[in-house]
Amino acid sequence: MSEQKWESMNDADFDSVLQGSLPEPPPDDIVAEVTPWKKAMNRVLTGLALSVITLNFLALNYILPAIGLILMLLGFRTLRRENGWFCSCYAVCLVKAAYFFPSLILNATTYQSIVSALPVYRYLTAASLVLTLIQFFCLWRGIKAVKRKAGLAAEAAAAGALIVWYLIIAALVLLGYGGTVVGIAMIVSCFFIIRGLYHLSSELDEAGYIIQTASVHISDKVLVRVIGGLLAAGIVCGYLFAASYPMNWVAVERTEEAETTEIKYRLIELGFPENVLEDMAEADLLECRDAFQVVVDVTDKPVNRGREVVEYEGNTEYHTTVYDVKELRITGVAVELPGERETWKVIHHFQWLVDPGFYGTESIQLWPTYYQGAEGWDEAGEVAGRVLHTLEGEDYAASYYSLGSETFTSNSIFWGERSSTDVFASFSMPKNSEDQRGYISYTTTAHYADVKYIMNSWVNYTHQRGWLQYPVNTATEYRMSGAWNDYGPFVTVQDALQFYNTDDGIDMLTAEE
Amino acid sequence: MQDSEIIAWLRAHDERGVEALITHYGALMRYVISPVLPSLQDREECLSEAAMRVWGKIELYDAARGSWRSWLTALCRNAAINYARNRNPAGEAEELVERQPSPEPTPEEAVVRQERNEAIKRALGRLSDKDRMLFYRKYYYLQSTAQIASELAMTERAVEGRLYRLKRELRRMLGGEGHE
Repeated sequence: MSEQKWESMNDADFDSVLQGSLPEPPPDDIVAEVTPWKKAMNRVLTGLALSVITLNFLALNYILPAIGLILMLLGFRTLRRENGWFCSCYAVCLVKAAYFFPSLILNATTYQSIVSALPVYRYLTAASLVLTLIQFFCLWRGIKAVKRKAGLAAEAAAAGALIVWYLIIAALVLLGYGGTVVGIAMIVSCFFIIRGLYHLSSELDEAGYIIQTASVHISDKVLVRVIGGLLAAGIVCGYLFAASYPMNWVAVERTEEAETTEIKYRLIELGFPENVLEDMAEADLLECRDAFQVVVDVTDKPVNRGREVVEYEGNTEYHTTVYDVKELRITGVAVELPGERETWKVIHHFQWLVDPGFYGTESIQLWPTYYQGAEGWDEAGEVAGRVLHTLEGEDYAASYYSLGSETFTSNSIFWGERSSTDVFASFSMPKNSEDQRGYISYTTTAHYADVKYIMNSWVNYTHQRGWLQYPVNTATEYRMSGAWNDYGPFVTVQDALQFYNTDDGIDMLTAEE
Repeated sequence: MQDSEIIAWLRAHDERGVEALITHYGALMRYVISPVLPSLQDREECLSEAAMRVWGKIELYDAARGSWRSWLTALCRNAAINYARNRNPAGEAEELVERQPSPEPTPEEAVVRQERNEAIKRALGRLSDKDRMLFYRKYYYLQSTAQIASELAMTERAVEGRLYRLKRELRRMLGGEGHE
């Protein structure tokens, strides 16, 4: 047929020619695909498989369930008009989507741990487990209803097995069972159940032609793009605008009372570092009123990974890490105060000597000299402190976002799982600020009047140096996890103030760097 | 139940074959028939007619030429079109039937039709799987835009737009081949 004839045909003629020119019988692949059931059910089953598989790496424990939920949503959306059971499955998908997708966005913010600690979150998690069970039950009944409608035996053993499997998993979780053998058995049985469901679905290929599909106002493609777009936008906004703590910065007023000026002079005379003194809040300064001895230990610490240097001595190769830049200055100051027993006010001050680079969350973990009931020292007051920075020549100060004791359970390759209670100071620094600094302080008294003990006070400063982590952990959460991986988004710098107050004077125990 | 068992019963003119056919393939047969015949009663009558055709023509089924389901689909579709033609010679059904090729073409028509079928087959082979399926739904299964839209979870407008682009693409392909 010539080009002119094709082009001169009107639409009706062209349609007529197309209708009459198709090969008989139609190709097998077309016949296999033209069914209202197969695509929708395959989506449901693939979504189901992705939802029950948990792979805890590369954020797959979030990505796969998210894809799974979208696939189930699309599948049940098509099937929802067929029967009430499928409609219920669709409703469950909608409810799950309503809290699961926002939770994915929440995970990109520092608020995720706060929200997940709320009692309502625990109820939501429990509700989610119940909803999943309801969904499996409705799926089982829905498939049986389709088979019954098609005049086939209303059996769906694989879907029923899925409910039993899920109940066993829930029971194991509630009992806190973590055995390997049962775990492997559950994974293997899950695989066989999913395979059984696919088999059941293909068995239903014939019955599936009776399915009544639901019309849609938004196509699958648009729906997926909208969900994906909102998720991506939400997560990006989380990283951009909620990756640090909201801090209440106030300009520092330098109006000095005669008393504080006098205290400052006295402390400087005793060797108190002037820069630390300038950063101290008036209340902390007043506590040092009658100081008569000051011990200072200044250390510059690297927050970078350094560079490896190889040296040879004879046939021996020595690898050392050299730090060209040491970004963080940590100053340990102990001020001896009068009292019936030996009393010290200990101050751990930090100061960034260069731009910290990334402005996320920071954390200071304090191990005071009376840490975990260490012999010789008692707690004598609250832990205090503040953070400061300079912007366009003006100093700003803020209280820590949080400062206090936190009880946590950490996992260590050395100590295993253990519970601890430590003091943590959590904070963030504003972008474009300069000379970021701060301190944490506490007072301690000797347990015995006549026995002297070593002063042994530690701080672990954790800096966030990148955004790439999901879900978002704060520096404090990172420290609490017991992880010690300086190649991740966090790096921890440790410093100690250690000395022995002998009758002959102060004997510094901290190694010189 | 295996297809081969049903086919064997039908070939042996065992009535269990028709029973099994309706039980296992009734849904498929109704699915193919329903876009052509809007009336529920017509569909059921046509289903019986199609089942009888299967019974009568089972010897023509050749597994080498296509699957059992493809053969059954073709048979049901033609049964439905014939039923529509006989049942309602005027009106909507006739419009549908008129578009079908004449059952007895002249030798010249047969050559032209063969040439045209080959050209369309080549053009269809160049379409994506999704477009080819959409094409078959519309021009072979004779499904309405609403049915296609709901089964593919698309809006009717999206289906119409895609069919429009598909037809334009086919015209371009067929026109291009005219120069060769």
